[in-house]
Formats: sequence, structure tokens, C-alpha cells
Amino acid sequence: MRIKEICEKLGLKVYVEGNGDQEVYQGVAGDLLSFIMRTAPEGAVWVTIQNHVNVAAVAVLKDIPFIILASEREPLQELIENCAKENIALASSNLGAFNLCGKLYELGVKD
Amino acid sequence: MSEPLVLELQVKPLDFLAAGETATHFKETLKSLGLPPDICRKAAIVVYEAEMNIVIHGGGGVMCLQVEEDKVTIIAKDKGPGIEDLELAMKEGYSSAPDFIRELGFGAGMGLPNIKKNSDELYIDTAPGKGTKLRAVIYLDKRR
Repeated sequence: MRIKEICEKLGLKVYVEGNGDQEVYQGVAGDLLSFIMRTAPEGAVWVTIQNHVNVAAVAVLKDIPFIILASEREPLQELIENCAKENIALASSNLGAFNLCGKLYELGVKD
Repeated sequence: MSEPLVLELQVKPLDFLAAGETATHFKETLKSLGLPPDICRKAAIVVYEAEMNIVIHGGGGVMCLQVEEDKVTIIAKDKGPGIEDLELAMKEGYSSAPDFIRELGFGAGMGLPNIKKNSDELYIDTAPGKGTKLRAVIYLDKRR
């Protein structure tokens, strides 16, 4: 499913649109950056509650096009700026990571 | 490419906001040289983890990227406290990072294991009080 469709269907608050037309088929969830460095599939959506600029760096390095902050985390300005610079979609959700991943799974996004 | 391309960047201590910049910069360089995506990704992971080690533990240092016809070499040097027990540090899940760093998602104890997993050769020269020099080699053709 396309990034912008996911944002619409899950009612996400979008901070950076990124490449909204890019299709996302896989997802990864986690807050340990080295774990994401190890396990994230290329092109995946990343669900996390980490909210700092290094999240953008990890996404760039792992070719992650879409980050969703769970549990009502409002992204820090530096994170928004870096995602915009790197054209990475950034959104937040009121849902916790568990339920958010469940919703993504229902939309066909799997690991 | 007869002469190796060499890039060197300084890494500041405890600068988490800038951390990841060296890795991003090196990855862009490798991509622009037309290296295969899997090599770029492996190198990016190695550089990122080595960079984070310098930021968290090394008290700042230098990262160096060397690109030759058959291989990419990543060198990370710091003058930090050195690694007391290298075997333990290589163990997945072991970390000596302080709590405030772990709360940011660092210090998972996967840095050195990630570097080892993504490089074909890994040399670490370290001793307590003498800093750490890490050299990781990724061959473009793994059959070599």
C-alpha cells in the first residue's frame, strides 16, 4: 500500500509527506537503534517511540522511507527537519505500537 | 580506480545529534561511486555502529573510508578508554553504555556484533587506556 494511503486509513498526523506514492509492503517495530540497523527490511515502515534526530539517520542508512511515532509522540523539530531533508515520510499515531502494528498488518503490511 | 579513494571525517564525543552524519556521508559517497546497493548498506551499518561507538565510548575520534577496486575499508580510531574485555564486548547484548544513552535507544549491545556480521574481515586493536582502532573490510566480490 502507498505511504499516503496508509496515513489516510490509519488517521495519522503527518509531519513530512516524503515520497507518499511509494509502496510499502513490510514493517518493522522497535526502539533499539542497533536492532533496527540489523533487522529492518529495505523499504519498510518503521514503528517506534524513539523521538530524536538519530532516528532519521538510521532510516537513511537502512533505506526506510516511512517512520511512524506511536503513542502520541510529537516529533522533535530536528527530526522533522532531517526527515524532510532526506525525503522520509514522518507521521505520528495516537495508538500504541502494538495496536498500530496490528492495524498495519490488517492493511497488508507484514514483516 | 588505481589510487584508492580516501575520505576522513572527525567524530565529536557525545554529539548524538550529529551522530549518524558520518555514516550518511560515507554511504552517499559509496552510492555515487556506483557501488552495489548491498555493499553500500553493509558499509553503512559498519560505519554507523563504529561512529556510535566513538560518540558514546571513544571520546571522539576519526573515521576513515577507503575505496579500492576490490574492497571497501572502514577505519575507526579513538583515544578513549579502550576495551577491557574484547571477547565480552563482541557478545550480543553486552553493553557498557550508561543509562541515559540506552534511553535514547543506543547501547543495545549489538554494535560490534553488527559490525562483525556486515564485514568480511574485522581487526580490533585495543587496550585499556590506549584507545581503540577498528578496521573492517568489505570485499566487493565475496568469492575472493
